[in-house]
Amino acid sequence: MKNEFHPAQEFPMPHGGRLFIAPTHVRDIVIVNGSVLGGRNMLPKTLNLVSLLTADLLDAGTAKKKKDVLRDTLAGKGISLSFSSSGDRTEFSGQCFPEDLSMLLSTITECLEGAIFPEAEVKNAKALALGNLAESKSNTRTRAEYALSALLYDPEHVNCALPIETQEKNVAAIRRAHLQDFRKKLGKGGLVLAIVGDIAVATARSAAEKAFGKLAVGTTTAPIKQVNKKLQKENEKLIPIADKANIDILLGVAIPLTVQHQLYHPMKVLAEMLGGGVTSHLMQTIRERDGLTYGAHSSLMGLDAGADGYFKIWATFSPDKYKESVEKLREEIGIFFLKGLTEEALNKRKEEMTGSYLVALSTTQNLAHSLHSIGANGFELSYLTEYPNIIRAVSLSDIMKATDLIPLDKLSLAASGTFKKK
Amino acid sequence: MRMRFSNSSSVPILDGATFIRSLEGIHEYRLDSNGLQILLAPDATTPVAGLMVTYRVGSRNEAVGYTGATHLLEHLMFKGSKNFNKAKGNTIWELLETKGALVNATTWNDRTNYYAVVPQEYLPSAIALEADRMRRANIVEEDRQSEMPIVRNEFERGENKMMHALDKQLWALAYTAHPYHHPTIGWRSDIENVSIERLKKFYDDFYHPDNATVSVVGSFDSEATLAAIIKEFGVHSKAPISSAKIYTEEPKQEGERRAVIKRAGHSNMVAIAHKIPAATDPDMPAILMLAFILGASKTSRLYRALIDTALATDVSTTCYQFRDPSLLISYITLTPRTRHEAMEKRLKQEFQKIISKGVTVQELTQAKRFLRAYVASRRDGPYALLESLNEEIATGDWARFVTLPQALMRVTAKEVQKVAKKYLIDDQSTVGYFIGTNA
Repeated sequence: MKNEFHPAQEFPMPHGGRLFIAPTHVRDIVIVNGSVLGGRNMLPKTLNLVSLLTADLLDAGTAKKKKDVLRDTLAGKGISLSFSSSGDRTEFSGQCFPEDLSMLLSTITECLEGAIFPEAEVKNAKALALGNLAESKSNTRTRAEYALSALLYDPEHVNCALPIETQEKNVAAIRRAHLQDFRKKLGKGGLVLAIVGDIAVATARSAAEKAFGKLAVGTTTAPIKQVNKKLQKENEKLIPIADKANIDILLGVAIPLTVQHQLYHPMKVLAEMLGGGVTSHLMQTIRERDGLTYGAHSSLMGLDAGADGYFKIWATFSPDKYKESVEKLREEIGIFFLKGLTEEALNKRKEEMTGSYLVALSTTQNLAHSLHSIGANGFELSYLTEYPNIIRAVSLSDIMKATDLIPLDKLSLAASGTFKKK
Repeated sequence: MRMRFSNSSSVPILDGATFIRSLEGIHEYRLDSNGLQILLAPDATTPVAGLMVTYRVGSRNEAVGYTGATHLLEHLMFKGSKNFNKAKGNTIWELLETKGALVNATTWNDRTNYYAVVPQEYLPSAIALEADRMRRANIVEEDRQSEMPIVRNEFERGENKMMHALDKQLWALAYTAHPYHHPTIGWRSDIENVSIERLKKFYDDFYHPDNATVSVVGSFDSEATLAAIIKEFGVHSKAPISSAKIYTEEPKQEGERRAVIKRAGHSNMVAIAHKIPAATDPDMPAILMLAFILGASKTSRLYRALIDTALATDVSTTCYQFRDPSLLISYITLTPRTRHEAMEKRLKQEFQKIISKGVTVQELTQAKRFLRAYVASRRDGPYALLESLNEEIATGDWARFVTLPQALMRVTAKEVQKVAKKYLIDDQSTVGYFIGTNA
């Protein structure tokens, strides 16, 4: 298989910033994916939703433009722009026509440096956040995810989600001043910016340097995360919600890996072997052979350049067959670890992963996303083209070392739905 | 096989297939022996190709007792065919997914599709496999038994979602006679009990080359690919008899209908569905603009009225473009302080504003700029193009992929107001409440 990627270039930006530009053959589309340092990990847990509300309101009025003017101006050009918040970063993504790139980038910086958070908008944003939290109480997947994180991590760890009720109290306590203070942390420090699509390199570079050059420095380093203190053991948490036709279940264990760890890629391959595509072990057994679920998938979660994450398996089961399904799932995971780790299975999965990487990068959106991830996770640009070789280089010995980090007798279970009475 | 080129461009012409037309880089052919429609859209900018086979059969072709049959059959189509199967070790998963292909299928009201987006060297394998399962799929009881619980769990997953549950009720109430009444996934008891004979009959009725379109996009050799399609799909005959025409028309609705779902939980939604014409109706471009102006962005009417005031956490307006008359539905997720009745009233006020005062030039301009962005995004990678073509094939004419954006650009503010007056009518609407009883 040939590795043919659109050529991407990297340019350094002040204060550790990284600019990636990849012209592609797509017409009339320019995708911008970017982020600056400043996220919930830099706030006390009681205030960590401040980063979320800040992101929600960055385009809700600036010192220069009222919300409606700002949004109508973008819409008049067909520009889409949204802000979001992750652990260490405030992220933005947008799409525009080639001739409007400067406007999109300058609007992003205007929001980052000039958002004013009108009192009425803060009140609305809090009401919306509380509405979303209320609705999430009925979401079986969300409830199980939150519960698993609490089973795996000590309360201070960045991956430990707070209970929904606590989050509601925290949102209620947020004040406009919290958002204003947090915004001051956002600047060009640690900028990662990917511009991909129907654009020339020189044009994109000039527009990016002009727009972001004037930003204040802001935060320049990500916080050092504390290592998980919670002892891993087999825990279980069931969250009953009435009137649900389906139960979401998660099995997981914390793993002491960041994305920069030498076992990160073997662990990714392992997750794909266990519960990736239809030919993976769990899909072939729990789904195809036993018909117990529409899907059972394993993945790595919560990892970044500084945070240790977890290995999780997600499946959905009918309430009628919940108990036997969970037993079967655990049994098959055990069988896979005992008998499924073969050279043949590994090679098959490596070929799948390198091929699907090529397929995924055939869209402008995915290429922009990948370049941003490379920057945010501290990889070199060469990672974009080297990734298939990195995957091909994973050996069975590496996979075995990765499995050592997943003690099967310590897999915790979190499940949410309507459980039948015994 | 003899090869020529058409006069107008470098579009290859091969014996066995008739060149029909080219529109915006998409070349249409028809296989002479069996009527298969072929669309080729070469684009060598990435080393990836995509293949999709669209069958003009969907849940509109089902009836009581076998709702969901199209979808369940779609699942069974992955169980193997005469030349690609488990025994030979070359199922679609072994043959393509293990090479990194994006492989899947989807079913909806008017169509069923099967697709593979592959590193370009695997395109011939994908063509051979799709051709084989078009008429030689193994549809057997053993597979139905093992697949049914999987589909049932897919159904259960959907039931967990508020919007999914309410949507089903809206369509079921809005349509009393026409088969859009039932959901594509089917009713639970039909999923559990439909017989293999019925599924096999469904396959034999609808899976024929003259009821399908093969689309290939991305990086591929046009001549070689057309030759491969002629060779692989050319072995099949036309359907022995034309598939049954759906002649059931939905009777005229004579008053507002209402659906209420009460379930434990904190989720609350109001949705209002209005009857609209079929996708190919001349009013459709203006209705699509109306849908965009109502609920498609942060500058839309409903976003400003309902989210900017914290009455709702989410709004959307979807214009379902189907082969037969369809629905325009606005879905509103409520914040905890908002009552359903108040939201319904507010939503209807927003409809009334457009009916009485129309839309602004600024709104129309914004909609047309976003339309340009949407048109461009349909070419962002093989899957985006395949998927867009597929939905137009389902409405009856793939050329709508080209003509619809042109028609949309011509829509005037007056026309948007006109369709608002014509279709946002209470007596032609179905109102749905999802009520979380723990709220």
